[in-house]
Amino acid sequence: MKMNRLFAGFSMLALSAVMLTGCGGPPPNPVHSVDDLKGKHIGVQLGTTGDTLASDLEDTNVEKYNKAADAVQALKQGKIDAVIVDLETANAFVDKNDDIMVLDEEFADEEYAIAVNLENEELRDELNGALQALTEDGTLPLIKANYEGDEKGQHPYEIKTGISRPKGILTMATNAEFPPYESYDGKLIVGFDVDMMNAVCDYLGYELKIDDMQFNSVLPAVQSGKADVGVAGLSVTPDREKNVLFTDNYAVTHQVIVVRRK
Amino acid sequence: MDFSESFRQNFIQDDRWKYLANGLRTTLIITVFAVIIGLFLGFIVAIIRATYLRTKKMLIPDLFCRLYLTVIRGTPVVVQLLIIYFVIFGSVNISKTVVAIFAFGINSGAYVAEIVRGGIMSIDVGQLEAGRSLGLNYRQTMVHIIMPQAVKNVLPALCNECIVLLKETSVAGYIAIDDLTRGGDIIRGITFAPFLPLIAVALIYLFVVILLTKLVGVLERRLAANDRR
Repeated sequence: MKMNRLFAGFSMLALSAVMLTGCGGPPPNPVHSVDDLKGKHIGVQLGTTGDTLASDLEDTNVEKYNKAADAVQALKQGKIDAVIVDLETANAFVDKNDDIMVLDEEFADEEYAIAVNLENEELRDELNGALQALTEDGTLPLIKANYEGDEKGQHPYEIKTGISRPKGILTMATNAEFPPYESYDGKLIVGFDVDMMNAVCDYLGYELKIDDMQFNSVLPAVQSGKADVGVAGLSVTPDREKNVLFTDNYAVTHQVIVVRRK
Repeated sequence: MDFSESFRQNFIQDDRWKYLANGLRTTLIITVFAVIIGLFLGFIVAIIRATYLRTKKMLIPDLFCRLYLTVIRGTPVVVQLLIIYFVIFGSVNISKTVVAIFAFGINSGAYVAEIVRGGIMSIDVGQLEAGRSLGLNYRQTMVHIIMPQAVKNVLPALCNECIVLLKETSVAGYIAIDDLTRGGDIIRGITFAPFLPLIAVALIYLFVVILLTKLVGVLERRLAANDRR
């Protein structure tokens, strides 16, 4: 019957589309330095400093993904030529993917800090005090050592039990797509930022509640009071400082370029 | 910050309104072509399904159609979009807009199919029999008697589906397409002011939907011109 033949044609078409999946690898890596980025497709995570940086470069096509992991996936498949992302996050991705690498060239330093509502100077000062005290007593350096360097994974932070938490709940807005700062491990959100905030809350007597959301929503959540603090590997930038208060920085990092190995 | 200052910061400064304008263009392109694909697929599937139900012919195509309907209606459009982008077209470098058009078109086709099938089934089977006994073959009866009435009946539901599709394209940002919603997100990412970009995006969608509803209203009135009054 005529309709039957037509249908066979359609199924063949669908089948060949599925088979496209298997054939052909990604094109060879065209980016070997910052200068090569001109005219290339660069993947970033929407609203991150990598996004700002890439958008400021001339003659590039910036593709803004919701997740850094999606940008890396697109890079591996050859849909884009490079990804600009924070150094530690880049390393975390490279650890898990043999076919990508980080270029040696680094962009300018940037500092991570905790964001609080513009009007909440009191909380900012409290957090600054806690950060300083925890740095001096060695807690923060130990947490840091748990996530980078030779002693990775040897110093997990244990949340203190049996202490009183008179100040109630402190809500932390984050975007758990950003290893090693925050990511999911099973049902739990783990990472440097989480351990640090647990230490801070133990020190100050808060109970930590983590709210996972799109990266783009973290600062608005802090601005609108839906969250008390934003801790998401947030780099301090002049634009952001107009809208939230930042604590003293707790980490210094840079943006790097991730490319395909071949 | 007062309203005019905030307006300037969100839309005027650095030509930020262009994010919305370009986004709207992308959204409309995706929607229009997805609607075309959706209608095409939907009508084919609906006719196959209705033919099987009425005449018990075309069993195999009908099975495929039912599989298509089950899979597409049973999974969220975001997931379908990501699968088409990252899995089916995984190693092919294809324009993301084309990927989105296919994804939304294929998705919409499933809903259109059931709407149109409902329309076809709503026409009394006696009309089919009458057509056949007047010497028309099955195809002629479908084309000249059943479909014109069915299409007129399902027009409001099809318009509904177009509206849904237009708004569903707002998830295209998942594969880094700068559509209208994403345009607002980008402005929000720069200015960190949630209010104005979101309201602007909402108003633009609303405006497009009102326009679409009006157009379909005109079409319906024209088609109703020969109805009994």
